[in-house]
Amino acid sequence: MRILLVEDDVDLSRQLKLALGDAGYAVDHAADGEEAHFLGDTEPYDVVVLDLGLPKIDGVSVLERWRRDGKTTPVLILTARGAWSDKVSGFDAGADDYLTKPFHTEELLARLRALLRRSAGIASATLSCGGLRLDPRAARATVNGEPLRLTSLEYRLLHYLMMHQGRVISRTELVEHLYDQDFDRDSNTIEVFVGRLRKKIGPDRIETVRGLGYRLTPLAGESEGA
Amino acid sequence: MTEAAGGESAPADDRSWGRWFGRPGRSLTRRLIWLASGWIVLALVLTGWALTSQYQESALRRLGNVLAETIDEVVIATNAGPDGVVVAEIRDAQTDRALSGKYWAVAELDGEGGVRFIAGSPSLAGEELAVPRGLPGRLADANGATISFNDPGFLRPPLRQPLRVAASLKSLPGRSEPLVFMAAIDRTNIENDTRQFATFTWTSLLILGLGLVIAVFLQVQIGLRPLFSLRNEIADVRKGKAARIVRTYPMEIQPLAEQVNRLLDHNQETVERQRTHVGNLAHALKTPLSVMLSEAGSQKGDLPDMVRKQTEVMKAQVDHHLRRARAAARAQLLGERTPIAEVLDEMAVMLERVFEEKAVEIDWRAPDELGFRGERQDLQEILGNLMENACKWAKRRVRITAGPTGLGQMVVVVEDDGPGLPADQREAALERGARMDETTPGSGLGLSIVVELTRAYGGKITLADSDLGGLKVLLELPAAEA
Repeated sequence: MRILLVEDDVDLSRQLKLALGDAGYAVDHAADGEEAHFLGDTEPYDVVVLDLGLPKIDGVSVLERWRRDGKTTPVLILTARGAWSDKVSGFDAGADDYLTKPFHTEELLARLRALLRRSAGIASATLSCGGLRLDPRAARATVNGEPLRLTSLEYRLLHYLMMHQGRVISRTELVEHLYDQDFDRDSNTIEVFVGRLRKKIGPDRIETVRGLGYRLTPLAGESEGA
Repeated sequence: MTEAAGGESAPADDRSWGRWFGRPGRSLTRRLIWLASGWIVLALVLTGWALTSQYQESALRRLGNVLAETIDEVVIATNAGPDGVVVAEIRDAQTDRALSGKYWAVAELDGEGGVRFIAGSPSLAGEELAVPRGLPGRLADANGATISFNDPGFLRPPLRQPLRVAASLKSLPGRSEPLVFMAAIDRTNIENDTRQFATFTWTSLLILGLGLVIAVFLQVQIGLRPLFSLRNEIADVRKGKAARIVRTYPMEIQPLAEQVNRLLDHNQETVERQRTHVGNLAHALKTPLSVMLSEAGSQKGDLPDMVRKQTEVMKAQVDHHLRRARAAARAQLLGERTPIAEVLDEMAVMLERVFEEKAVEIDWRAPDELGFRGERQDLQEILGNLMENACKWAKRRVRITAGPTGLGQMVVVVEDDGPGLPADQREAALERGARMDETTPGSGLGLSIVVELTRAYGGKITLADSDLGGLKVLLELPAAEA
């Protein structure tokens, strides 16, 4: 497994390099944002550990550039400030996990193992509907190539709608598939989630069929399966 | 409590009558209205008095001229011979007709401070004019000039004509003693005229006064309207409904509005700077702490153990003091409003990703229009830590429900289906800032940040059992009006 470690502190880098090497990773190290961006862009890493406070280019910008260039390598960010706004902006830029300094090395190793396990199920048969795409194995969805940020309930609703696209699905049916247990079986719930999904994927993709339920259709002008 | 201490009154009070007619000390409106009304009343009273007295005076002057003419005629017609004083016939319809209201008389001094009438107009019909005491003395003082006075009238009822009387002391050739010539006219008409004029004047002035006071009232209302509107805007900022003063005001108070905005900006900047300082300090300290922690962790022995333990203490201390500094800086902020649904959504998406292995499902509900009256970063901090904690302990499910409770407050409930927390440990968990999640490394003191921030915002935090099976955290926080 190849790993890119981006950290500007000399001592911490040395320690992490040792620990990661002991854990069986092939470690490349970058001490600033420019170098990190270059390495991440050119080398095929399996996972990246990225400190947010970096010289030259900060971590969030580096991550944004990678994601813009289509790199899907899982990235774990390290934050020293521990502020949630940093974590949120890291995630908006495309991070997969975070760790707040100071941390125990074992914690970092455990998180990296989890990240690698998750990304192991690579591209499978994706569902698509117009500009919407959904990868059931990775549990990721995109609209016109932009990643969608969905909660699991929203994702599940979208997944079900996409599996049955073009068909009218009743609220009762949706609520049964949304919750696997008997909680919150209130059909108003569906309205709430459809409302949120519309905000994220665009208002016109999910059609309300009055008295019957909802139907997912590609937008006019979008060719099916494109 | 602060409302009362700040001397701020509820808007309803301002609309009451007390605002206009109460003690004029602390209201600008009242002060302006009272001052203007005072001037108006004073000016109108003086005007009324001047007009009526002027009118009366000119009427009397006209009367005086008629009387002086009559006296002159009588003087010309009077001859003092050796056989006494003889008044020739004066042709005047008015003085000939009995009790016509116009009279003349000639008298001589009786030497005892009174007069003795020698002759009188036919209109007197045998009556005598009433003469006030001391008239001869006054005539002597006047040195030949005419003096006038009001006479209560004939002493014979039912006529009782009020008279205006003029008298003059003249010496005639052929007589050593001077004679008193008197003329009198009924002044009823003139008095009626004067009274009518006064009534008319005072009524007009009263109407004018009322009109002016109403005009002042309206002018003050309209004139001060920008001030009231500015006050409402500032109140909105305080309540979190608005971030800045946005309306344009007249040039007299526009600088005030700008200063308020500048103050808000300055406030914001100070907090921002404070936060950056604190963040920098955290960054500077935490990386070395990480190094020490991991170096000591990788070795066995007493020294590494001691170093690791002390590093943990340092880390906790650094966290604690940084948080305190941050919480203190933000309590002063005004005009911030953070939509809670947005923060819940971004946190839910992120944490589900982080806890993907466990497949934690975060189900959040909040009205779109519900806002937190405070900084976005602080709400992220509060909810992030609570939700992360919930995800950490949950088996599968985390539920967050937020809603307004009225009175500018809202409640956020964070629940999980984990093991929960026994009732006897909850108090301690809140007080100590929850060291109980120490077993999960790298997480620090999440709950203590929440407690400190919640208190800085004047909110409340309670722990209870959730019907999902785990812990239920109830947060009361200030809500922003939509």
